[in-house]
Amino acid sequence: MIYLPIAEMPVNVLLVLLVSGGVGFLSGLVGVGGGFIMTPSLIFLGVPAPVAVATGASQIAATSFSGIMAQTRRKNVDWRMGLLLSIGGVAGSASGVWLFQQLLVLGQLDLVISLLYLLLLSLVGAMMLAEGLAVMRGRDMPTVRILKRPIRTIAHTLPFRMRFPRSGLYISIIPPLALGFIIGALAAIMGVGGGFILIPAMIYLLRMPTGVVVGTSLFQVAVVASLVVILQSTATQTVDLALAAILMLGGVVGAQLGARLGAGLKGEHIRALLGAILLAASVKFLWDIVIMPPEQYVLGGGLW
Amino acid sequence: MIRALASLALLWTLLFAAPARAQETGSDLPAAVAEEQITVSSDYRGSYITVFGVNPDRRGRGDVVVVVRGPSSTATVMRKRRVFGVLVNGDPVRFSEAPSFFAVLSSRPVRQIASPQQIWRHQLDPAATAQLDSAVPVGADPSAYRAALVRLRRSQGLYQDYSGQPQQDQRGGLTIYRGGLFRAVVRLPANAPIAQYHADAYVFRDGRLISSQRNIPITISRVGIERRIHDLAVNASFFYGILTVLLALSAGWLASLIFRRV
Repeated sequence: MIYLPIAEMPVNVLLVLLVSGGVGFLSGLVGVGGGFIMTPSLIFLGVPAPVAVATGASQIAATSFSGIMAQTRRKNVDWRMGLLLSIGGVAGSASGVWLFQQLLVLGQLDLVISLLYLLLLSLVGAMMLAEGLAVMRGRDMPTVRILKRPIRTIAHTLPFRMRFPRSGLYISIIPPLALGFIIGALAAIMGVGGGFILIPAMIYLLRMPTGVVVGTSLFQVAVVASLVVILQSTATQTVDLALAAILMLGGVVGAQLGARLGAGLKGEHIRALLGAILLAASVKFLWDIVIMPPEQYVLGGGLW
Repeated sequence: MIRALASLALLWTLLFAAPARAQETGSDLPAAVAEEQITVSSDYRGSYITVFGVNPDRRGRGDVVVVVRGPSSTATVMRKRRVFGVLVNGDPVRFSEAPSFFAVLSSRPVRQIASPQQIWRHQLDPAATAQLDSAVPVGADPSAYRAALVRLRRSQGLYQDYSGQPQQDQRGGLTIYRGGLFRAVVRLPANAPIAQYHADAYVFRDGRLISSQRNIPITISRVGIERRIHDLAVNASFFYGILTVLLALSAGWLASLIFRRV
């Protein structure tokens, strides 16, 4: 047990290590920041929601950074694409914070967050699970299809085209910038890294090769999460350094183990697994906004 | 051991000072806290606050009420509503002044000791202390919101009430000794805010307030690394944010370095 100076509560160090380790493992395995599991878990452990959101971002930064190191050695990061996504992400998270405050004033932040989670998790989860399973049954090989790239998306027709040698792409810079912006805004509102939206978007919209997607999305997530930590600690002072240290320790060790295992797994398996996890998480959000709890009243948390 | 001795010394001074002071003013209740200073370090897991006092009535007649309060702050209570089949947190009601911590200890249930007017005036109940700030939505009952605030905070252990003797298995409660000495022990949970607290002691007889002492200070403060981290977060928040990010990046870098070797 250790007393957290900002959250003003004691936590079981071992339990937090275990949770952050598990989230980190998943993160290294599939390349998601893991915030969409980490933040609700912290709240469940009794950490006030604003502290959980802000401190979770620091763990996402640590985990994704260690993930980047692992991916870089395998040359799985498209730096040019990552930089473009990050530029969009910085602008997006800044406007996300602004939107966050507007929703706060309207008093409907909770509902918007729940609906966003439900929509995105179930949609993306179902899509990935379906495709992963189809490939595993050996029907056809979409990875090959993606590599051949016979399909032209909107990314290929817009102006300001640029060459991305690592991904083998020649596409407009507008979609990556816009994508980064949306992810950054969602990250600020939902308290997540955004990898779970970014990865499918990179695969299906930008048509990037699956191998490069994980490393590149980690890069963007690391940049956005770092920015969120600085913004939150300046604006709301809800970043708990002691909690962050425990989360980072568990997170990075888990991420390394996950990345190691991920290297031996096939992309389709990883995608099917992620899809199943996302679907399971979306059920929880559906439950929260449909089933009336016995206590009808709720206390507004510390900041709202 | 030292704390026990200090408590004993306190008891003696109280016992001897009591009759003289009570006769002088008639409304001054001799009371004090055993822990004027509570420190919070990294192994803090909550604490106890002990309030001692002496009932000025030699025969010990009357009822004792002890209140321990944390600082007041704003609070919002919302109600879940169903809109198109989806639960929405709606109808927010703001309280401008709600105690962040509130414990009331009494020899009998407070409602039997004091009239509702007195409970309201002396703020012997957390609901009485909370001040409504915004208008209650049309058709809603303000007292339902007040009750919800108390219920929710009580489930967090921040609002407590004890009446009668302490139970066998719990330390919290009000004990009355012969000669009018009383001792109130309040469990301060770890999630209670770190701030300046106050204790009040009252003696009621036949529904009238006959003696009281208010605003006995109890200071809860951080020490050591807890204090340093908190001060940094508040006073140098930008630097603190940068520091956290650097820590995150180095943790990630270090882990990948270590794991490459293995």
